Amino acid sequence: MDHSLDPGESLTSKRFWDWFIFPGGIWIALLFAIPLFLVLALSFGHVDDFGRGVYGFSLDNYRDVFDATYIPVLVRSVAYALATVILCLLIGYPVAYFIARYGGRYRYALVAALVIPFFVNYLVRTYAWVALLADQGLVNNLLVDWGLTEAPIQMINTPFAVVGGLVYGYIIFMILPLYASIERMDPSVVEAGKDLYGSPFQTFIHVTLPATQAGILAGCVLVFLPTVGDFVSAQLLGGPDTYMVGNLIQDQFFAASNWPFGSALTVVMMLFLAVWMVFYLRRASKGEAEVL
Amino acid sequence: MSGEAIGIQGITKKFGDFVAVDDISLSIAQGEFFSLLGPSGCGKTTTLRMLAGFEAPTSGRILLEGDPVEKVPPHQRNVNMVFQSYALFEHLDVEGNVAFGLKRKKVPKDEIRTRVAEALELVALSSRSGSRPNELSGGQRQRVALARALVNQPRVLLLDEPLGALDLKLRRQMQIELKAIQREVGITFVYVTHDQEEALSMSDRIAVMSDGKVAQCGPPEEVYEHPKEEFVAGFIGISNLLEGKVESGGRVRIGEDCLEVPDLGDGHTEGESVRIAVRPEKVAVDEIGSAAYRIEPDMFTVEGEIESKVYLGVGNQLTLKLGNGGRLVALEQATYRMRADEQWEVGQKVKVGWHPEHCMVLG
Ligand SMILES: Nc1ncnc2c1ncn2[C@@H]1O[C@H](COP(=O)(O)OP(=O)(O)OP(=O)(O)O)[C@@H](O)[C@H]1O
Ligand SMILES: [Mg+2]
Repeated sequence: MDHSLDPGESLTSKRFWDWFIFPGGIWIALLFAIPLFLVLALSFGHVDDFGRGVYGFSLDNYRDVFDATYIPVLVRSVAYALATVILCLLIGYPVAYFIARYGGRYRYALVAALVIPFFVNYLVRTYAWVALLADQGLVNNLLVDWGLTEAPIQMINTPFAVVGGLVYGYIIFMILPLYASIERMDPSVVEAGKDLYGSPFQTFIHVTLPATQAGILAGCVLVFLPTVGDFVSAQLLGGPDTYMVGNLIQDQFFAASNWPFGSALTVVMMLFLAVWMVFYLRRASKGEAEVL
Repeated sequence: MSGEAIGIQGITKKFGDFVAVDDISLSIAQGEFFSLLGPSGCGKTTTLRMLAGFEAPTSGRILLEGDPVEKVPPHQRNVNMVFQSYALFEHLDVEGNVAFGLKRKKVPKDEIRTRVAEALELVALSSRSGSRPNELSGGQRQRVALARALVNQPRVLLLDEPLGALDLKLRRQMQIELKAIQREVGITFVYVTHDQEEALSMSDRIAVMSDGKVAQCGPPEEVYEHPKEEFVAGFIGISNLLEGKVESGGRVRIGEDCLEVPDLGDGHTEGESVRIAVRPEKVAVDEIGSAAYRIEPDMFTVEGEIESKVYLGVGNQLTLKLGNGGRLVALEQATYRMRADEQWEVGQKVKVGWHPEHCMVLG
């Protein structure tokens, strides 16, 4: 006798397991969807005389987002994010490649060594950069002590410091997907490239890069998304000239107390990022279909 | 065949303390289909990778048409490789894969187009030129890998178990195709395999490798019919091994019986023990008592008993226990001469014989 093939029983157990979707579903609905909906609703509201957000229905906030005052902030955010992505790729690819191809049995130890600093809170790590780059900071003190410069160089409050902080903050999101895709690549494909008269450089361009494009794409998106909305790096390492959209939104909620405008900014940012996300998901699912 | 395509002069490859290839010397002629045959881990791939330039020999020289190439990087060597995993470029279509080498060599565009088309025709894949590798079957992928290498008209084509991933039937078919393509293009093939049947059926010459060394090198008939050592006799086909002692006059004593071996060769002293190998298909078996049916008059004969019988369809494989305690495997091919009622019984007493010239004396 074989009980496991009884159709009634397997159906019941399937129903039984379906119930497990509820705790997580409720959690997402309460803590994720509802706040999001509130932000969306508030973005059409306005501020009353006491500075409190009031629900309403007007597009004024959205018009303000694209006001000439804020356009430079939006452009700057995207520019910093793109610069961060490019720097992360340029620094991260050689690192990931080296570990994946030449790490041997130390591969996992090396990956762990890269990940461990990221256990420390992003804010704390960025403060460390302040200590490093300040006018009286470690780097400037060394430069002056060694006589390389007369006076301290202005490093903090520059775009370089902000982008540097962003690179430092998010590079692991570039390295990990790159590492995964390079490690998964069949090494004999690279040898085939060389065997077919490709110089090491040509082989890299025509074989290795295309073979790891899924990892490159994932890394770029994973770095771009959080970077473009980041406010920590600009706040700690930058000044008025490096104000990013993340700082703008933060100020609406905390300093300026204009929640409706902050909400509208948030919604616009989310839509902008959603476009990128859709682009990425389509590319990724296409890539997956190619692998199959 | 004329001239030397590849000269391997005493190459050794060490990985740390481990000697993967141990002082191999070979001379491969132009247009030759040359096979490296041996069990897993014997150093076939390592040897091939040194020819391609992916590994540098620890010592020794490699000559490509007379020129030393040990120091030449792979992308400047005029040899191409067909990888065991095929290593196709998944982001390019079939045409892009085949054109890859020509593009790197900066061949003019229209010449690339005609040569790629010719190469695809050669491997019967013209209709799939726009497909991605992942849309192809295993056999088709194999042929893309072949076309991708052949289109460059290399001096030597290196193939590392190119049919290993295919099922048996497709493998047999591809063996025939590969051989036909090799004859057509006339390029020297160095072919790595661990399948002895494949090596025997395709090669002009075979180098049998074991533990990083070449145990024997010669045409298929020679390595099969005249193996020089026990390893070769055992690796290529099955062999029955018999212990014997050399007696005077080129005779060898096996148990109580004495066997006259025609090509015992010189250098054997009286009383020396030797091993004699006999192929199962050279062993004849007859019922005791009945008229001689398979055993011929000039055969060396012993008596034995059938210990086990395996039915193979095309014949029977019999394991025989000899009077002197030894064991012997006989492969009995079914023929038109076979009687319908002929049946071997386990335990049946039989007469076993073979021609003395089919004895292979192992050093
Ligand atoms: N890069 C390497 N580092 C260390 N040892 C290696 C390396 N490459 C090969 N070897 C060793 O050298 C020996 C020969 O390897 P090789 O790949 O040449 O064998 P093979 O004859 O091709 O075997 P197979 O039929 O399994 O492919 C093996 O024992 C292998 O472990
Ligand atoms: Mg191998």
